[in-house]
Amino acid sequence: MNPIAVVFKKEMLEILRDRRTLIAIGLAVIATPAVLFIISQVATKTATQAYTVGYAGDVPTGLDILFDATGLKLEKVDAPAEAAKQQVDIGLVFTASGVDEYYDPSRQTAQLADVRFQTVLSRYDAAKVAAALQQKGVDPSILNPLPVSVHPLSSPTQAASNSFLSFFLPYILITMSFTGGLSAALDASAGERERKTLESLLLTPVPRSQVLVGKILAVSTISLAAALAAIASMLIALSRIQFGGGTFSAQLSPVATIVMVWAAILLAASFSSLTVALGTLARSFRQGQAYATPLYFITIFPASIVLFIPDFNPNIAYYLIPIFNAVLLLRDAIAHNAVGWEQLAVTSVSLILTGTLSFYAALKLFTREALLVRS
Amino acid sequence: MTESPHEVGGFAETSRGPLSKPAVKVDRLEKTLGSNHVLRGISFEARSGEIFGLLGPNGAGKTTTLRVICTLLTPDAGSVEVLGYGTRVSPQEVRRRVGVVTAEIGIYPRLTARENISYFAELSGLMDGEVHRRVDAVIDRLDMSSFAQQRAESLSSGQKQKVAIARAIVHDPPVLMFDEPTSNLDVLASREIREFMLESKGRGKSVIFSTHVLHDAERLCDRVTIIHQGRVVASGATAEVRGGFKDLEDSFLSLVGAAG
Repeated sequence: MNPIAVVFKKEMLEILRDRRTLIAIGLAVIATPAVLFIISQVATKTATQAYTVGYAGDVPTGLDILFDATGLKLEKVDAPAEAAKQQVDIGLVFTASGVDEYYDPSRQTAQLADVRFQTVLSRYDAAKVAAALQQKGVDPSILNPLPVSVHPLSSPTQAASNSFLSFFLPYILITMSFTGGLSAALDASAGERERKTLESLLLTPVPRSQVLVGKILAVSTISLAAALAAIASMLIALSRIQFGGGTFSAQLSPVATIVMVWAAILLAASFSSLTVALGTLARSFRQGQAYATPLYFITIFPASIVLFIPDFNPNIAYYLIPIFNAVLLLRDAIAHNAVGWEQLAVTSVSLILTGTLSFYAALKLFTREALLVRS
Repeated sequence: MTESPHEVGGFAETSRGPLSKPAVKVDRLEKTLGSNHVLRGISFEARSGEIFGLLGPNGAGKTTTLRVICTLLTPDAGSVEVLGYGTRVSPQEVRRRVGVVTAEIGIYPRLTARENISYFAELSGLMDGEVHRRVDAVIDRLDMSSFAQQRAESLSSGQKQKVAIARAIVHDPPVLMFDEPTSNLDVLASREIREFMLESKGRGKSVIFSTHVLHDAERLCDRVTIIHQGRVVASGATAEVRGGFKDLEDSFLSLVGAAG
């Protein structure tokens, strides 16, 4: 058997018997749906939750019906201002000249109740004004001199879903490409020194470059599997969970799917080379983890920032930045359902170059005498 | 190279008797690690069919010498040949012909004993069909059948040391190097190692035994070289090096003391 295949087979066997790696992948697969489920529960609860309005005075006719329809529960209190501090969500005092509202902006429920109250109030005002105009023989449409008819060119639900996916998917893909194979990478590199198996391995007649390729291939496979499993579980969860009573379209277009798989392969290969190089530098698994933590933030943080800037329109030079470019490419593919060939080519070359340089760094580290002397 | 290379194939490369050609030839070896000048012109020869002792106190340079012989380290000056192959010119050919057992029993804990041995057999370049046959033979030879299918993490120190030996000899190398092999083992396991070295000698292997346990060396070695502070202070047949002293230890202390 080819030595690369021998090393790959052995590394895969060890990885699949390593609880640390399996738990990391298992958690990634379970964690995303769990988080999404909690978010959906919170969203649903927020949408359907009723808020209490403590009031004094006489509620105008018709307003009580609107309150009831929008989940605002009226409760008569002696001192609405005092009650609004804790007992109720907002306090209202109806007088002959209007309404005094009391609410504490530091309370989230008060803020939400206030928003609903303002909505109710504007509907009530509009209805009252329209009725008054009609009574005087004036067409109420005079209040809306420039009526707008909206004609969305794509499904608003799909657009909202794409916007959500273009934020979440690149983040999960990058995080899992890095963390999914990290344990395996450190075990295959720093672990060899820690277990004192490195010397025996280097005593075999197999060229060290082939040993390294076998190891990186195994780590890339796990990294890729972890990333794709996390994405698949996320998409399945999104298609089954309701958000605030609304549906979510968790479908990726063919373009987005192809770009995602290609980006996942490139990221897995780059991260694997990088983390194996890092592990070769470390004397132990724990030291490797200590090196990996800052690397994680260095690579993930800039990439994550771009997700918070929705109108960020980068020029082609940004696609040269490794990892960052994968996020941009995925965002283009998911949000706009299109990817420019130029951007795709630059990103691919950049990530392949990153993986190659990392491989040579790992090889350099793997062939130095200090590796054995220090161990 | 001073000799024509031998064919690969384990026993075919060995020849018995003290007059045979050197299996390992170390010539004026120099090596500095960091700021430490570890080897200062070490020379010796180890032959097939003998146990050659590389003796010296801790830090004398024994392990560094063995690491240069098996190509893990590159010499700064001097040369090493293993069965005619120079370590600088043909490191891979040298590695094919050498098996190393050290005190540090590093094996893969999540693989079984058998998987550990098979991995190294495959990496040693044995053909697919031969791997199975050689692994079976080694397991049988070292009496490992009872734990061959167990994960290495569950084995005792003695069993792990057997796996380490099996891994080192599975490709049937003509040169075997033992670097302080018994230092972490109990009496029974140490005894098995000594018996294995004698058996290997009987099979015509060149056995290099690096140790600071002079009692073991005196019992096992046909010839010895004593190194101290990176230099050879004595070399020859064990009885010659012992000289007029009661045992090798007294001789060793005298030589090391004289060398400063």
